[in-house]
Amino acid sequence: MKWLLAGLLFALAVALAIGTAAIRAENAHCRRRVDQALRDIDDRRVELTRLSVERLEAATPEKLAKVHWQHLRAEAHRRQESIQ
Amino acid sequence: MKKGERIRLRFVFGALGCVPVFLAGWLGWLQVGQRGQILRDGKAPLRLVAATADRQAEAVEVMPQPRGSIVDRHGSVLAVDCEVYDVRARISVPAKEGKSCAALRSWLAEVADDFARAMVADTSLSDRGESQRLYRERFRGSLAKAFRTDRLPADGPVPADQPRVADVRIAGAVDVLAVVDALREVGERRGSVSMHFLRSWQRSYPERESTYGIVGHVDSRWTVDEAGAVPKLTTFGACGLEALAALLPDEAVTRTSLRDGKGLTYFRAPVDAVARPNVVHSTLDIDLQRIAVRELAAQAEAGAREGKVTIPQWGALILVEMATGDVLAAASWHRDGKHPEAAAFTPYQMLYEPGSIVKPLVFAYALEAGALDWSHSFDCAPGSSDYRERIGSVGNRVVRDDHACGVLTPHGILVNSSNIGASYVGLQLEREQWHDYMRFYGFGAPLNLHVPFESRGGAEKSFDPSIPVRSFRRNSAISFSFGYEMHVTAMHIARAYLRLFRGASADLRLCRGVDVDGTWLPVPTDPGGGAKFRPDVVDAVREAMVDVVSDDPHATGAVMHGRMLKELGVDLHGVIAGKTGTAASRVGLRGGGKMEVRNASFVGFLPAHDPRWLAVCVLQKDDRARFYGGSYAAPPAVRLLLQTQSLEERRMLQREPQVGAGGQTRTASGSPGDSGWSR
Repeated sequence: MKWLLAGLLFALAVALAIGTAAIRAENAHCRRRVDQALRDIDDRRVELTRLSVERLEAATPEKLAKVHWQHLRAEAHRRQESIQ
Repeated sequence: MKKGERIRLRFVFGALGCVPVFLAGWLGWLQVGQRGQILRDGKAPLRLVAATADRQAEAVEVMPQPRGSIVDRHGSVLAVDCEVYDVRARISVPAKEGKSCAALRSWLAEVADDFARAMVADTSLSDRGESQRLYRERFRGSLAKAFRTDRLPADGPVPADQPRVADVRIAGAVDVLAVVDALREVGERRGSVSMHFLRSWQRSYPERESTYGIVGHVDSRWTVDEAGAVPKLTTFGACGLEALAALLPDEAVTRTSLRDGKGLTYFRAPVDAVARPNVVHSTLDIDLQRIAVRELAAQAEAGAREGKVTIPQWGALILVEMATGDVLAAASWHRDGKHPEAAAFTPYQMLYEPGSIVKPLVFAYALEAGALDWSHSFDCAPGSSDYRERIGSVGNRVVRDDHACGVLTPHGILVNSSNIGASYVGLQLEREQWHDYMRFYGFGAPLNLHVPFESRGGAEKSFDPSIPVRSFRRNSAISFSFGYEMHVTAMHIARAYLRLFRGASADLRLCRGVDVDGTWLPVPTDPGGGAKFRPDVVDAVREAMVDVVSDDPHATGAVMHGRMLKELGVDLHGVIAGKTGTAASRVGLRGGGKMEVRNASFVGFLPAHDPRWLAVCVLQKDDRARFYGGSYAAPPAVRLLLQTQSLEERRMLQREPQVGAGGQTRTASGSPGDSGWSR
């Protein structure tokens, strides 16, 4: 009987050790996921700033007029081709 | 239980019992045997205290603060700091690759290729293949330098003193998400490469092509102090509005994070102490600035493509609001403008002899001082009795006019821009009065724009007390009368005309105020209190300037008047008033010697009878080609003034009154100091 108890206690100790290791691993994994999410937020904020300034630069009257002219020329060219 | 089993069981439990004994022994060895510190090769002993453990588990990142932003008078962003990453990598050579020289070289080449691939992860790059090749070469070079592979033998074992770990800067100003992800992926895939993304700032100028010079630029780089401890973002130089002290960033703050067993940081703490960057509200109007840049460039380059004319060396065009002295637009143009950042900003840096453009200023001063009778007539013909009596009597000095002028009143002298007539008036002023004239209009005085490298110009040498009065009258008094022997910038001329209309205390303004963390700090306009011309003096000169821009064939603005009538169908007489100026000067060259240049200038204001906007244009040519203020400098200034009025009318139409919840109406677009809401 005492050997059975000793065996069970040993199994319990091993189970506790394995359980602790698993929980710590899960914690580490979770921590990494949260940290990555935080990092991704930072990265996206930087990207958002870049895109905002890029759009601002692209929206000057001169650049919009240039794009508009390009569009009109392409449209005129397309219509001319369709007539021919 | 058999005997053998019992022995095995005792052995297992005995072994398990040894574990705590070993741990207790180890603890004793560390705490007692090592006496509270661990000795390290080449480093100070590591003290085994709680602070050491905390320090090792905590990382501190230096967070530079952003510079302030610059906006135009309607809130459009002209300069802003954007957050970017400064990417560095800590590269440790794995044991396997660190055994032979060939393996080490091959491994470093692979790492360099990985970085190069990551750097071109941005799919919007135009030539990714070529970019990747260039990056690959760069990274291979930087890794070879960091690991000193040039001194390694071709093959064989790696020497013991070979560096195994190196910190390499991968790239600065990384802000493209795809590139950031790709670089992070390199660090995750290669266990021996730790990527570090330092927060940094990159200056962005959304209206860059229109604002070189006036908004300026700033040169900031990451530097490491002498101790080599903490890298920090350092500003080396700034020009234009960027040099304003209000834009300087606050002190860098630090952000802590935790560090894992591999030294990688995680769980960054939020940054609490980040102050909102200041916002400098400039007086510029970006729409007008664009027009000014376009008009000046169009005029300077007109005809050059066909090779019909030579093009000027430089040009300047500025627009000022009369009521406040606000500089609404300031354009600079250089013939060899390959590097606009490095070029001088002509409106407040390039000095020139203004020529006849100053005659209204001289006449107003003389009229105010009682040295001129506005109804008097002068015979401006060379060789006339007036000429002999006034100019001939001061000595051997010849004054010529561009076209023959007869008997003229001061009004007529200004309209015809007669140098002889102007000299008559100039000779009525004493030397002290000329000195006061310079002081009143601010010639030779700083512009007080608070930007670096402003030119002062002036004519200090002419007022040397050792120069006899007769010599001063013969040379300086006559030359000053039609804008020679003195040097000014376009902004000095603008300020002088501002003072003609508003008095000696009027100054130009480039900054309307600063928004410091929500608090609006305005820059005061005219403090008042200075000397002013009588209204009848200002009116007399203004009326003459109205007639300069007319179809009178002798008026110096007649060419421009006819051209605008033909081009735009607008009769400018009574709409825009102005004065032309043309001067031929000899300027010193940097390497020695002198060169002849011709300056064409024009100052104009609109509306002619109640000036609201003032424009000054200057173009300088370095050859002897025909070049006149009326035909070259006046058109861009006039077009700018007309477009300013047109833009204002369009804006007025857009500003329909808005009614608020409390019954208040909003009548203006709203400035930082004035929301436009009123009851």
